Amino acid sequence: MRIRMQYLIAAQTLCGVLLGTLLATPAFGIGKPYPGPYVENDDLLMVLIPHTPEQMAAFYEARGFPEEAIKLISDACFVTVHIKNKSRRVIWLETVNWRFSSNNQPLQRLGSNYWNTRWDEIKLPLANRATFGWTQLPVQRDLQPDEPVGGNIVFEGNLKTFNLDARFLTGAHKRGGMLDINFQNIKCPKEEPRP
Amino acid sequence: MKTALSHYLPACLLILISLPAFTETLPPGVMRINGTTAPELQLNNLDGEPYDLKATQGHWRFVHFWASWCGPCRKEMPSIERMIAALGDNELEIVLINTAETEDEVFTFLGIVAPELVPLMDRDGQVTEVWQPRGLPATYLVDPAGRIQYQALGGRTWEKPVYLKFLRGLNQLESQPGQ
Repeated sequence: MRIRMQYLIAAQTLCGVLLGTLLATPAFGIGKPYPGPYVENDDLLMVLIPHTPEQMAAFYEARGFPEEAIKLISDACFVTVHIKNKSRRVIWLETVNWRFSSNNQPLQRLGSNYWNTRWDEIKLPLANRATFGWTQLPVQRDLQPDEPVGGNIVFEGNLKTFNLDARFLTGAHKRGGMLDINFQNIKCPKEEPRP
Repeated sequence: MKTALSHYLPACLLILISLPAFTETLPPGVMRINGTTAPELQLNNLDGEPYDLKATQGHWRFVHFWASWCGPCRKEMPSIERMIAALGDNELEIVLINTAETEDEVFTFLGIVAPELVPLMDRDGQVTEVWQPRGLPATYLVDPAGRIQYQALGGRTWEKPVYLKFLRGLNQLESQPGQ
């Protein structure tokens, strides 16, 4: 797996013009300090933790989700994202600025509209809907210094691997420049068939 | 010139002397917010007893949303228990709200990590929805007049001196209208 980070620093001017690429570092450390592919620098830590359908089914089953919901969840690919703002300025999590791709084609997430429709169809109880909602990555957050955020992003279950180009604006008024984080060849793991 | 200087100098000195009173040092991860009125909070606790946040006006409230499946919440809860012990008979009211879990899940979890705590049960998650925390865990500090004055970002080590000092200091703060 190759993960590359491009850290683009923009001039702190009104137009936020990009100055250039500063750094590209491998994300897998020898000691693997995080449970998945990650990028860490002075500004932020970002970790992706892909899960098997069985792991996700077990998680939601243990929280009392009904069988129809577990079936829908098992048919999807869940990746937990953890981000922490390590800088002294605001970093904007806005998933609208993230680009997912697979086989050189843009890739769509299964977002809240998809899930709300499914939950309406199966009349998922409010408590389960709330739990599911709180386990998803927020679409927007003005991450304050030292603030973490986490949650799942979800794709169609037949997806094998994907790339992510995640862009973050910075500064209270989004004029502090842009961070550009790339993950490549992230796998949607499947449980090995039992012999 | 001399007249102008003698006119403005006392004003400048007064501003300089007053500055520390207007600057506020907050512990890591605690954010001042704009003092909006806290939403309604009426729930039963784990023992089935009713609770209404409005009925506790008159002192500061530590309002904390959590769920047992949330990793940072699991880590933070023992810290909250130690914070409560360290604060002793401080007048800060601790209000813990479990989001959308069952009594069994909460009882099992708290029995292991923080057996002294009795949370409120937001069984369908709808009270949490109204408060709209930035995520779980989330902590709000509500002033004696019922306005949210601070929010803690993510899990915090509440038993550390920097947080205890801050929380103890809340009771010395006057609730300022319009904040």
